[in-house]
Amino acid sequence: MKENGIENKGNRFNMWKIHLSVATVTLIPAAVGINYVAKAFAEGLKLPLWLGSLGTYLASMLAGPTAGAISGFINNIIYGLTLSPVSTVYSITSIAIGIVVGVLFNRGWFSNAKRVFVSAILIALTSAIISTPLNVIFWGGQTGIPWGDALFATMIGNHINIWIASFTDEFVLDILDKVVVAYIAFFIYRQLPQRMINYFKDNQ
Amino acid sequence: MEIRDNSLSNIAKIRWYNLIDPVTKLLVALFLTMLSFVFTNLYFEVSLVLISFVLLLLSRLSSATINAVYFCLFLIVTMILIQGLFYSGNVHPLFSIMNITFYREGALYAVTMSARILIIIFAIGFFMSTTTISENAKYLEAIGLPYKLVYLLMSVCYILPQIQQNMKKIQFAERARGINPQKTVAQKVRSILPILIPLIIKTFDQSINRSITLQLRGFDSPERTLATPKYHYVRARFNHYLLSFLTIFLIGCKLWQIFSRFL
Repeated sequence: MKENGIENKGNRFNMWKIHLSVATVTLIPAAVGINYVAKAFAEGLKLPLWLGSLGTYLASMLAGPTAGAISGFINNIIYGLTLSPVSTVYSITSIAIGIVVGVLFNRGWFSNAKRVFVSAILIALTSAIISTPLNVIFWGGQTGIPWGDALFATMIGNHINIWIASFTDEFVLDILDKVVVAYIAFFIYRQLPQRMINYFKDNQ
Repeated sequence: MEIRDNSLSNIAKIRWYNLIDPVTKLLVALFLTMLSFVFTNLYFEVSLVLISFVLLLLSRLSSATINAVYFCLFLIVTMILIQGLFYSGNVHPLFSIMNITFYREGALYAVTMSARILIIIFAIGFFMSTTTISENAKYLEAIGLPYKLVYLLMSVCYILPQIQQNMKKIQFAERARGINPQKTVAQKVRSILPILIPLIIKTFDQSINRSITLQLRGFDSPERTLATPKYHYVRARFNHYLLSFLTIFLIGCKLWQIFSRFL
């Protein structure tokens, strides 16, 4: 039952189910679309955030980590094929985000605002740990966000190791983005009609 | 007055890139990318950029590829600046402006990486501008990719414009109700919710409807008729094996380069 927070512990759906039901097959493209639109929306409002994982969060919360991981993966593939081809390699990060959100949600770490904050930090850490080697390989450690890169340049200028500088650059951006996205996802999930939540859970 | 039916002649015309299957095109992109990772000589990287660019020019230079280059341009410029100034291996000065020295090693390192980015953009651009969604869907299913995965990949391309249209409608409605763009970041984040909540609920509602429709039409049925690919591709299987072998060999070479540093 859903009251003040989100009660999701003890859900009957199999968290790691690989078999794709028709409901999941139609949920994933919708989640990818939400990722795409939320990202465009954040860019349009000139926010210092990406918001490009909102759909992945919601897919993981509604249909488990596998659905979240697949939507994250497909999101980066489509984004890479249409806008920025290098984004394709960051699909590894998106897969990890989908899995971590699904597991945390299933274990009750999205049940209230305090727990959401802890979850967001864990998600940001995961994202930064996986993205840092990719940033170093493809962009010499940069992320492409001006103020994060300014921090990176300052650290490199002070002879700090490129890996630490790149991780810091990625983490400071990720922490802000993942916390905001986690709260938006938490808030939106609470607004979803119960029949919608049940439909995706029952059809696993 | 002569009336020509150009549309018919365009449809019937098969170009050279139509004879190459989508998977081969993707493998070519992967092969060129791996080549650029294994051989880091600047001249070699530049020649790979030229090869991928010529490949693109010989097919079709789409606006999506130009946008991708434009999208990465800022990062490439900042990368050259940052590495030229602060790269850990900087020794030989290239030039100095007002006591700020720009180094040769950092600049070379950044240019090599930029070349790699351009190779990826041009090679993927070649794939994007020469294939269509339906062609990819038919071919992927024909070579044995599960139809559910094919549907997942392809339906996004059709659903996306629908979601964007819904977003425009909701934004318009919110503006008509007097909700204006906000100034601070916190206000902007809060202003997102009145648009995102109805958009997401509508999107999920539409996906529930789509799911029910697919179930009614027997989407899960084990007996499926495969769609015939649009073109007859030349030596598709041979190309797949050859390019896969070469790419795996290059990955092995790169791994050896990395591990041999620690030996």
